[in-house]
Amino acid sequence: MKLLIVEDESKIGDYLRQGLAEAGFVVDLARKGLDGHHLAMTEDYNLLILDVMLPDIDGWEILKSLREADRNVPVLFLTARDNIDDRVKGLELGADDYLVKPFAFAELLARVRTLLRRGAAPAGETTLAIADLELDLMRRRVTRAGQRIQLTAKEFALLELMMRHKGEVLPRSLIASQVWDMNFDSDTNVIDVAIRRLRAKVDENFQPKLIHTLRGMGYMLDLPEEG
Amino acid sequence: MRRPVSLTLRLTLLFGIVAGIVFSGFGWLIEDSIKRHFAEQDTSELESIVMATEAVLLSNLAVETGRPLERRFGDILVGHHGASMLITGPDGRVQFTSAGPDLSALVNETASSALDRSVLDWSDDMERYRVIIRKVSETLRNHRFYTIIVAVPIDYHLRFLSSFRHTLWLMIISGIAITSIIGWVAVRQGHAPLHNIIAKIRLISADKLDTRLPPESVPGELTDLAVSFNEMLSRMEEAFQRLSNFSADIAHELRTPVTSLMTQTQVALSQKRTIDEYREILYSNIEEYERMSQMIGDMLFLAQADEGLCTPDVTDVDLADEVQVLFDYYEALAEDRAITLTLEGTAMVSGDRLMLRRALGNLLSNAIRHTLSGKAVLVSIGTLNNGEIYIVIENPGVEIPSTHLPNLFDRFYRVDPSRQEGGTGLGLAIVKSIIDAHGGRIEVSSSGDSTQFRIILPDTASATSQT
Repeated sequence: MKLLIVEDESKIGDYLRQGLAEAGFVVDLARKGLDGHHLAMTEDYNLLILDVMLPDIDGWEILKSLREADRNVPVLFLTARDNIDDRVKGLELGADDYLVKPFAFAELLARVRTLLRRGAAPAGETTLAIADLELDLMRRRVTRAGQRIQLTAKEFALLELMMRHKGEVLPRSLIASQVWDMNFDSDTNVIDVAIRRLRAKVDENFQPKLIHTLRGMGYMLDLPEEG
Repeated sequence: MRRPVSLTLRLTLLFGIVAGIVFSGFGWLIEDSIKRHFAEQDTSELESIVMATEAVLLSNLAVETGRPLERRFGDILVGHHGASMLITGPDGRVQFTSAGPDLSALVNETASSALDRSVLDWSDDMERYRVIIRKVSETLRNHRFYTIIVAVPIDYHLRFLSSFRHTLWLMIISGIAITSIIGWVAVRQGHAPLHNIIAKIRLISADKLDTRLPPESVPGELTDLAVSFNEMLSRMEEAFQRLSNFSADIAHELRTPVTSLMTQTQVALSQKRTIDEYREILYSNIEEYERMSQMIGDMLFLAQADEGLCTPDVTDVDLADEVQVLFDYYEALAEDRAITLTLEGTAMVSGDRLMLRRALGNLLSNAIRHTLSGKAVLVSIGTLNNGEIYIVIENPGVEIPSTHLPNLFDRFYRVDPSRQEGGTGLGLAIVKSIIDAHGGRIEVSSSGDSTQFRIILPDTASATSQT
């Protein structure tokens, strides 16, 4: 998976590149709008991450000329201004998603993965499984090591989200928005409580532990690393 | 756009025009009456000559006396300054003619017209005259006519009139000029209170927003201006005060986490530490960063609300549904603390679903945080008699001292400043600006064992209630 970041703030650009590279992506970084535009028009990328405010040509311009040239690569915008006009403009121009600075890196990573998965949607999966944990989407049933586990509707939705994103860090804000439709900064300790309860049902009496807390980042469902 | 003509000029022009009309009117009246007076004078003079002549003619025809007619006609004209006369007999021959202008030209005129008693204006090459032409029959039964033509010069009247008109014009023009000047001065004087107000307003700057115009010291017409200006100043002062407090608060609120981050990082770097210790420091930093980032988000929201940019995206919202969604979200947290969440009633409002959810969510999370374990948070929704919608969020808990209540919705206001509750201190301010944006209001009351937040939303036409 090859990504292009166009970002003029050198520190942000460097850390984004490092973070995304460490998450397993091949990353190109352009520090100027025109360089980014040139790369985007000539190379094939799976995703572009564009800063809106660039010194030479802004992110909107790059997106516009990409779409005019029929290059349908997904685009994620980074913007320092959070207002409706900007969002509407971005969506009209064909942006796929946007993030308002300051954002959490885990949030960016989750959005990037969602955008890359788009189009390659899992066709008609009916069960999700990791280790001995199984989720039956049709019958809304959860079993671990063959034992039936009773979950509330929201706990089920939370577990489904984590299993679909297995191995990915899910920030609390993303969980709140995906499971409860809370799209604003709300009490994130609500998520902590919900995870604790889910963990008590799914993980407490079983091995290996699947739900992991990444301090300062969020939660992740995965097999524990060996060793 | 063209700048409108100045008030002073307008009023001065108005004064001038009015004076012009009035003076010209008077002048015309006076001139006309003088003219008429002259005409009457001339006519009566002419009439008296004609009458005397008639008498002489008739008596002479009846009784032949020895005195020559010419002498007697001549006598009649004596004392009538400059008058001249011409008499023709029935046969058309001239019987008498006086010295002076040649009136014979007028004889033919009489034949063609029946200008019997009327007076006409006539002029020869030298002068203008007023003329009367009269026919006198020889005897009562006889149709043989004598024609008497009498003329008096009127040039000296006309000269007088023209010099009078000249004087009149001068008077009118100077009258207009004087009135205009007086008007201009009066208007300037009349504007003096305005200039005073302007001088006062000029002194007002951002740090002197407490200046007020004394409404009793301005003329009645300007009282409204002074009062509304004062009201505007009050609003500006309030907004300015809030804004400057807000800036100071932002600086203060940011100083705390930045200080702690700096201290922590510098202490960490002051000696070698284990990887785990470094990691611990970074984790702790992230928590601070997250709080700061949330604060920035909240402040931006409020800034947009202040600019009136946060216009609700209006749809019909079922409040009970929204509260239920929030209950689902907070359920686990509440259960954890053995708090029950109860909902009563329902109502529909027109509003922005996300914004209302955010406002109610903030209030609910606030309520849960301040409720003692084992108690219940009660949300009741309904419609008032006047159609307004109410949402009451009530939680048992420690009483909030009444001195704090009016300030509770202020930004960064904390009941207990020493206690950092982890929030940004902007939650209730955001609630208030959302409710404001919906045209509603919010009140808080706190008694011995419970605190109540009461939102009143306006009755919207499309909203129907089913309590």
